[in-house]
Amino acid sequence: MRMFFDSTLRAVAAAALVLLFSDAAICASQAVAPPLPPPPAYRQVTDEIGRTIRVPRSIHRIVSLAPNLTETIYALGLQDRLVGDTDYCDFPPDARQKAKVGGAVNPSLEAIASLHPDLVLVTKNLNRLETVNALDSLGIPSYATDPHTVEAIIASTERLADLLGAPESGTALGKDMERRIAAIKDRVAALPLRSVLFVVWTEPLISIGKDTFIADALQHAGAVSVIDSSQNWPHINLEEVVRLQPEFLVFAESHPDNAAHTTDTLADLPGWRILDAVKHHRFAVISDAVNRPAPRIASAIEELARQLHPEAFAETPQSDKDNASPLPPGSTQPSTSPLHLARDFSVAQECACAQ
Amino acid sequence: MRPVTLQRLLLQCGILALILFAVVVVALKLGAVPVSLYGLGRDLISVLLRQTSQLSSDYGMIVIEIRLPRILLAIVVGASLSVAGTSFQALLRNPLADPYVLGVSMGAALGAVLALIAEPHLALPVWLAALFTPLGAFLGAAATIAAVYLLGRREGQIDSATLLLAGIISSSFLSAIIMFLLTTLTGRDFRGMAFWLMGDLSSPLQSSLRWVLGIGFLVATGAIYTTAADLNLLLAGEKEAMHLGVDVRRVRLVVYIAASILTGLAVSVSGAIGYVGLLVPHVMRLLFGSDHRTLLPTAAFGGAIAVVIADTLARTVVAPSELPVGAMTALVGAPLFIYLLRRRMA
Repeated sequence: MRMFFDSTLRAVAAAALVLLFSDAAICASQAVAPPLPPPPAYRQVTDEIGRTIRVPRSIHRIVSLAPNLTETIYALGLQDRLVGDTDYCDFPPDARQKAKVGGAVNPSLEAIASLHPDLVLVTKNLNRLETVNALDSLGIPSYATDPHTVEAIIASTERLADLLGAPESGTALGKDMERRIAAIKDRVAALPLRSVLFVVWTEPLISIGKDTFIADALQHAGAVSVIDSSQNWPHINLEEVVRLQPEFLVFAESHPDNAAHTTDTLADLPGWRILDAVKHHRFAVISDAVNRPAPRIASAIEELARQLHPEAFAETPQSDKDNASPLPPGSTQPSTSPLHLARDFSVAQECACAQ
Repeated sequence: MRPVTLQRLLLQCGILALILFAVVVVALKLGAVPVSLYGLGRDLISVLLRQTSQLSSDYGMIVIEIRLPRILLAIVVGASLSVAGTSFQALLRNPLADPYVLGVSMGAALGAVLALIAEPHLALPVWLAALFTPLGAFLGAAATIAAVYLLGRREGQIDSATLLLAGIISSSFLSAIIMFLLTTLTGRDFRGMAFWLMGDLSSPLQSSLRWVLGIGFLVATGAIYTTAADLNLLLAGEKEAMHLGVDVRRVRLVVYIAASILTGLAVSVSGAIGYVGLLVPHVMRLLFGSDHRTLLPTAAFGGAIAVVIADTLARTVVAPSELPVGAMTALVGAPLFIYLLRRRMA
């Protein structure tokens, strides 16, 4: 019995040894046979929150952890390099088809790693530092954006284009955004600023603080937020709003029906019903693009300016006729989206083709 | 136990009513818009006389339209939570029982959230739609207290520690479900997470809901008060009370249902505000004794005073921003509770 075991053990050990050596031999032959590839070209860049990071010189696989960054990549015409995005990345509709890595706040690190990205894009006001640190420890480079104004969104877009090796697309897109925002400014600059309350949420009442890019976007549309808070999403006392009596309430909605329901409810609600804006039904409902620091912010500013200052857009020249119809909020289908909304992408695609 | 005379009861309630009145006047004065007491008095009288056209200014309108309703809401919510807490403490013979600790508030909040989710799909008549959220909150509260009561029993008797553990576990389980629902099904029409988990009084109520809240409060509090003498006997133990001729089953049923209605109503309009139902009855017991015939009405006044003060702080401390009122009650309540606990042990 004992002999049998011994012989069996010996046989197993021998087999294991053979396997081990053959494995080593294969490894050795692999290591020697092909010449070592040249080390990948990396470069040092500083991102918008001041981190110095090392990124490959050419980036082919991008994971975006924020809807605004996903939109920016599409606007730059670089969507083929986007290999993954979040559950909330819904614009353009094609972004829904990308591999999903979870939410922006709690993405799955395993899902990100399995996509083997060259670079992960994050944005400070949405993603968490823990995610960035975890990616660092996995050796996955990440680049953070942090725009607080409309100008910063344009600059951030151009920097991102530069980083991804498409500076021409970035410059063209940035120029287009600047031109459109300047065109709105020309129309509304001479008009008095409209005082508005930007309503993020009604129950409880949440508005925006003065340091947000939304507050800056309001300024570009010829409006100013009545709320002067240093918090980004302040919970505001309704009495204070009644005291300040904003001329307009501004809602950002993905579905116009939601906004209609909200504004109807407010007309009967104690407190809200004594607001002049509610009494006179002065509501501006714009697409929720205004909530995302991405190239579509220019469209959102146009929409808002048209609703707050209709007189500035009354006499529209023939060439601009397509822009005259008010934008249906939340139209995400490319076929139904108005010309100036689609233009973001056509410009970018032209550039991509030109490359 | 000191004998209760009508005179003593009226005296105690009168003192508390005066304090409540003073607190309300101060609360009416404080806020985003400064008001004079004279102008305020004149405005209130003209509103009572239904001569709203004679209001002194827009600012008077703010006080009448926003601040006063909010203070009245704080009074009803505070009184409801405090009376519910007193009843649970008597019925479960546990001084640590209150709607928040027992998980009943979270049960009510979950019921209200589910009702809010279901309502748009049901095409209800208007009168039922207004009642639907409080109804969901009541059912959630009633189901939770039944579950906690059953989980907290050991060999046919309520076990104090087991009961509290059952309440705490239920509370965290239910708040996890609320968080799950609000993060996955979130939409603009829902009140924020802080509202349901911390309590918040900043959202004005629909007029129909005000009536439901007021009538529900009076009926449920009245029902509990009819059992006040029996609750005193129950303090000695369920068996002992039964021997003394108390219909324990009936008392238990009345108080459970009425306390669930109070909790459900309060939570459906203000979210889960902690510590009021726990602390106010304790303070009132220290001040006026543990006879439920005086404890129930004084606890109602005390709860109202506490929540009006807490909400006034919540809306003025970081004005023009707001804090959830539940954060204020917890900030003051938790240290006060520890103080009372240690004092009792000493």
